[in-house]
Amino acid sequence: MNESEQTGLATMRDCWITGGATFDLAPTAWKTIAGGTSPDEQERRLLAIAAQALDVALRPAPPKTLKRRPPLPRLALPMLPERLRPLLRAALKHAADARRKTRVVTLVASRGFVLHPMDWMPVAPDQNSPDVYAPWIDWQASLDGERQAPQEKLTAENWDEFYPAARRIALADMRRSEPASARLLVEAKASGEPAEVRLALIELMRFGLNPEDAPFLKSLSADRSGKVRELAGRLLARLGEHGRSNDGGEGDPAAELAAFISEGKSGFIRRRRIYTPAKLKSPAQEKRRAELFETCNLVDLAARFNATEPEFIGAWQFGADNNADILIARMVAASGSDAAVTHMADALVADGGKPALFVLHLTPRLDSRRKRALVRLILKQANYLNAINLAEGIDAGWLEWDDLSNGSALAALRSAVAENDNAMRRGADEILETIGFLATATTAAKLIDEVVAAGMPPAAPSLSVLRLNAALAEHQSRTDT
Amino acid sequence: MEFELKTIEALAPDQASLSAASKLTKRSNWPRLEKNEQQALIWGECQGSGSNPYRVVVDTGDHGYKCTCPSRKFPCKHTLALMWIAATAPASFAAAESSPEWVNDWLGRRRKTSPPPVQPIEGAAAKSIDEAARTDESAAAEDVAAVERREAAQRKRAEDTRQAVSAALDELDQWIADQLRLGLSGFVDASSDRCRRIAARLVDMKATALAGRIDEIPSRLMALRSEEKPDAAIRELGKLVLLAKAWRAAPDDPELKRLVSTSETREQVLASPDARQVESFWEVLGEKIESRRDGLVSHSTWLLDLKSTTPQFAVLLDYFPASAGRRSNAFAPGDRFDARLVFYPARKPLRALVAERMGEVMSGAWPDFSLGATKDPLAGHASYQDAAPWITDCPLLLPPGAILVDDRGTGWWQAADDPQGIALPIAGAVNQTLLGLDLAATAALWDGARLDLLAAQSGFGRLDLS
Repeated sequence: MNESEQTGLATMRDCWITGGATFDLAPTAWKTIAGGTSPDEQERRLLAIAAQALDVALRPAPPKTLKRRPPLPRLALPMLPERLRPLLRAALKHAADARRKTRVVTLVASRGFVLHPMDWMPVAPDQNSPDVYAPWIDWQASLDGERQAPQEKLTAENWDEFYPAARRIALADMRRSEPASARLLVEAKASGEPAEVRLALIELMRFGLNPEDAPFLKSLSADRSGKVRELAGRLLARLGEHGRSNDGGEGDPAAELAAFISEGKSGFIRRRRIYTPAKLKSPAQEKRRAELFETCNLVDLAARFNATEPEFIGAWQFGADNNADILIARMVAASGSDAAVTHMADALVADGGKPALFVLHLTPRLDSRRKRALVRLILKQANYLNAINLAEGIDAGWLEWDDLSNGSALAALRSAVAENDNAMRRGADEILETIGFLATATTAAKLIDEVVAAGMPPAAPSLSVLRLNAALAEHQSRTDT
Repeated sequence: MEFELKTIEALAPDQASLSAASKLTKRSNWPRLEKNEQQALIWGECQGSGSNPYRVVVDTGDHGYKCTCPSRKFPCKHTLALMWIAATAPASFAAAESSPEWVNDWLGRRRKTSPPPVQPIEGAAAKSIDEAARTDESAAAEDVAAVERREAAQRKRAEDTRQAVSAALDELDQWIADQLRLGLSGFVDASSDRCRRIAARLVDMKATALAGRIDEIPSRLMALRSEEKPDAAIRELGKLVLLAKAWRAAPDDPELKRLVSTSETREQVLASPDARQVESFWEVLGEKIESRRDGLVSHSTWLLDLKSTTPQFAVLLDYFPASAGRRSNAFAPGDRFDARLVFYPARKPLRALVAERMGEVMSGAWPDFSLGATKDPLAGHASYQDAAPWITDCPLLLPPGAILVDDRGTGWWQAADDPQGIALPIAGAVNQTLLGLDLAATAALWDGARLDLLAAQSGFGRLDLS
């Protein structure tokens, strides 16, 4: 299309938009084709030529502001084989929320694969995805795309060259191996970061937390952010530092909370102290007690009774008041020392029964061995099998067949699957999904056979994680041979 | 896997279904018949009257079934035919170790109940499998006079239709002239009502296909930014003028007849000497399922010829009533199969039927079509427009490129080796992950204003974008 045709087309277009005849405005060549007929026919012919010209001769004009994102980085692990992607997509589709999807991703990563980016991508401020996805989290978060995550060690000098997720992972690693150097880095750099980032950095102090961190954490009591101050107080409490005034006077929350707890004695020969929640008289009291449990630290509360944290926890009468038990478990998880946490977990798991379920609140702070012990106990007891869905931060792919078959879990699952009760089946579906994440490949394959024999359709979506788990091992063994 | 003919007879909703099923029991109608005895399942793909095959699965234990056809008879003729084959020729089913994903999807959704005893339903006495089997064989030979009468009636009907369509196109011409006189700005604003009115007139005058196309103009305009709408209206109406003129010049041309009034039947296409046949390996690029204003759902499956040296496409196109509910997809994107396709006769044949399927083909990368050598990524589009300027959606295989975004968040495809050159805006929202991938080749549909992505090849393998 030449220039005069382009000008003619533009004028005709304007004329058609408002309405009217365009024949006189048309380029000469077009007039020749369209002329010699009725005015309506002339317009239609010109319209046909214009349509063709717009379609073939003109090209869309891209805006000057087109932006290109940096290339999506390659991850350190190989991509999940194409053959397994349908199984993966089925498992992701069945996973109802982000937490469950992350579990599927963690299971795949534990077998040495990453997902295809079109199947799943971590969300930008994601702290729960496996570390291998850090480059993708940073890619999601980056807008300018100028920085490239360096491979060298994180220092104050190259701090800004790291993307946030890569920096978080580098710092967490450093806290495990060189906690003092990591603390010095956080000390030097955190104050310059916004509150949200500062909070995430201080949160990393929980790795390798030790008394040498106390002065820095104390210095945060003057931080601008209330959340940072609160977190620092919790971390200090874990180190046994009293965070609040301990004068017992009015306004001392630990003293107010202590009033909700009765101290007594138990045992005929060796009289030992016990703590039980006092009976509450109104919902207002219940509400206040919950607030106090949330704001107070365990170390301060124990001190009100002249007890150490493990002593206090050891003397707490679990089972007397369910709400109070939940509140104390949360308090231990948030502010208890490592000794208090492990003491509570070990004691309750050893005793078994319903109180052992309160240990679920502690799972973010338990080591791998204790978490597994808790899962094994839940499976063995089988009375509260659904509680297994609440366990957080547990490793993928370790649960052996014996762990399932030794207790009553398998029988309970079989009967739930065979039931006509929809609620029971739904419960079983969720448990199977969780076990799909926890189980070894062999266990997963065996469990599929078991529940199918019990009446579950072989292609039921609730088996999708188990199927993926079993297939991942098949693939590994194929590549090994 | 045992089926008795008595069971099929009892399950059939009426005698007509049994008769129709009888005709579908020929092995050639079923490119795929498989079974899994452990799961008590049989399934198959039936090449019915549609372009896309119907997928049928039957639980031989409790006689549960599912078919992707839009029939409102339960079970449909395809299900009955599958059971019939299982009863009479069980060896036709190949044993499969595992069931395909679409079968698993169905199994996952259904709740198994205890199998109800198959009771003859009301009117069952009137159904007979023997009679159904006989119907086919005993089609009485028509006498010569009857054939002549029928053919004469057909000719008369065709002539009546031609005259009605001719009158319809006269009305359309007048309507287009009116829109130009009144102004396209008003047309864009009121396109919904105006198009509906003329489409209804065209349906009355037997220009059904054209009416359906005009009914879709408002939604095509709606998808664009306001500054783009007048140009799009010029393109849409101009193409209608061209199509009407072409039809007047050759009213018996099969392509033009299909676009203006009605389409040929599957049998007519298969029997047509002008229909191009291509036996090749095909990859399913993607599917487009769109609800139309005339109450139909169009279901198109785009295929890429993997043996051709230049990018060649085919589309399997079906329409079914929206009231039939959501249909399962006939193919999964990325599926590959060996098949003989018969194309509807056209200047640039695209619409096709699967005449024969020979089996599955291993997945892999697309052939190297030397796309980098083509300077203009829209060259394919221009070639389609030169031959058939009424075509709206042209399939393209774009050279290496990437997806970029503008300030308004619209995605644009741009060639890798020409960052200052042509860029094509993408229809709909773009998956953000796509912005970080280098695309070695991209299959898409271009409608003159927007690129509708189907699939791409990248460093991360095949990407399903439809």
